[in-house]
Amino acid sequence: MGEPIAAAAAAGHTTAIPRIPREALPSPPLSAARSSAKLSALHARLSLPSRLPLETLARTLIHPSADPNPDLNNASLALLGQDLLGYYTAEHLLAHYPRLPQTVLYAAQYAYVGGKTLAAVTREWGVEAAAEPGGEVDPGLLQFKRVKPGTDISGSSAGKTKGPDGVDRSEWRLGMGMRNVSGDEFGDINASSQDAAAGVTLEDASKTFVRALVGAVYLHCGQLSTKRFYASHFLSRQLDLSTLFAFRTPTRDLSRLCAREGFEAPVARLLSETGRLSRHPVFVVGVYSGPDKLGEGAGASLDEARTRAAAAALKSWYLYSPEEVTVPSEAEGKGDQGKRWVPCMVDCGEVIA
Amino acid sequence: MSTTLPLRPSIGRAASNCLSARPPRPAPHKKTPHPPAPAFANTTQPQDHIIYNPPSSAPNVYHTPLKFLPKSDRRRDLLLAQQRAAQAAAATYKPLSPFSTASPAASALASLSASAASGEAPPTPASPPIRVPYEKKYHLTPPQLEEMRKLRAHDPRKWTRVRLAEKFECSQFFVSLVCQAPQIKAERDAELENIKKRWGRQKRMAREDRVKRKESWGRDA
Repeated sequence: MGEPIAAAAAAGHTTAIPRIPREALPSPPLSAARSSAKLSALHARLSLPSRLPLETLARTLIHPSADPNPDLNNASLALLGQDLLGYYTAEHLLAHYPRLPQTVLYAAQYAYVGGKTLAAVTREWGVEAAAEPGGEVDPGLLQFKRVKPGTDISGSSAGKTKGPDGVDRSEWRLGMGMRNVSGDEFGDINASSQDAAAGVTLEDASKTFVRALVGAVYLHCGQLSTKRFYASHFLSRQLDLSTLFAFRTPTRDLSRLCAREGFEAPVARLLSETGRLSRHPVFVVGVYSGPDKLGEGAGASLDEARTRAAAAALKSWYLYSPEEVTVPSEAEGKGDQGKRWVPCMVDCGEVIA
Repeated sequence: MSTTLPLRPSIGRAASNCLSARPPRPAPHKKTPHPPAPAFANTTQPQDHIIYNPPSSAPNVYHTPLKFLPKSDRRRDLLLAQQRAAQAAAATYKPLSPFSTASPAASALASLSASAASGEAPPTPASPPIRVPYEKKYHLTPPQLEEMRKLRAHDPRKWTRVRLAEKFECSQFFVSLVCQAPQIKAERDAELENIKKRWGRQKRMAREDRVKRKESWGRDA
């Protein structure tokens, strides 16, 4: 009941100061949020908690390229939201799949809350973008300054990677150590200090909006609501982790793994075959360690089937998931709010061959 | 005189025994007898029933094998009990094969049905490995390694990796660890380049595709 009064007070406040035409403002004023049908519809469509006011929802839609004023754009909210999304995703992945290799972890992280995914989420939520930001625009539209057509957006970091010796390192391959130390939550080292005034792409603006919304939900409604929002919109997306693996030498890696863990050396055995002398033979090969089968693969040659079987065995090692998992954020909170903390499994690391 | 058989709801020919229940009728000339029921016919269940025999598919990689489960995991005990039960069932199970066990084909069929019934048990006796497993010998001594290096340096054209591996009974990979011959590498590379130059468009594409296919083996299993 307090919100309409507050909104009316805000509206009254704006009428008191000398009127500025809306067209002169860089972004829609806060008072316009209450009268926007699009904004209310978005609030209802996402089942956002009623404690999140429409004014904040309107603010999450304003990218810094539209309004450079840090009190009115979504930059600060997006920063908070980015950290929250990264935290929840990382703890989910690490607790449920403790053996994931680092590269796969980064890929999975990107698949859940990376830029492309967040842009897709924005589209699915039905958020439309304004052609050009401005005070007269409906506050329910995503406001950002578009990048000029023909601008090279791939090499945004060009020229910045030159070292003091003048060597261009932009083409150098990044090692995992470098990615761990100075990369972001996806292990990417990007020049994030891009010039917002020059305009951004729709993907960048959508990404910032979703992050800002998560940050806003956290600030207004607390951690429980944020976790619920995160679970229903991001964790619910289906991702097959087994497709993210790429082994270069699966058979060698599997031998190293068996040697490390003290299992018998893996042996490939032919399980069944058909059409050995035909144009399209199929061999089914199982990889055994002692009497236990580790993996199975089918291929058009014995070598292919053996390699695929070793890759499948490695995947089933890496994709081990404990039965009952308590992620750190579940145990937060006082008294009966948080669950009892049960330590997660920590694996000794991936196979290095 | 002919009798109509009662229409029975039967799921699959294998599940009904109506063929043997047919009354004998006077045959004007001798007919060939009906073939016996096939090996997969169920002879233990008297009524009609559903045969559950799903097509085989690759095991799910999310189902961690017993060996890969940590010691603390409770699923370990469950899997172990399941495995033991399957082994016990396989040991006591005697398939009722309609074939006489005189012919080798019949005995092979009988053993096949037995292994199908036992479930996840490894093929018994274990099928031979695709590649012969070998034990590493670690038999070369420093003077032998020195000799290997000397031979390779003296005449790299004669003492190739293959010949050295044969002589010292080690793998070619090990020879490459011990000694290299960079002086003939450029020569060999040029030779290979010459050969590749003679390839046509089709052959080149086929080779490139083969490399790509091989890379995909480690990606999707």
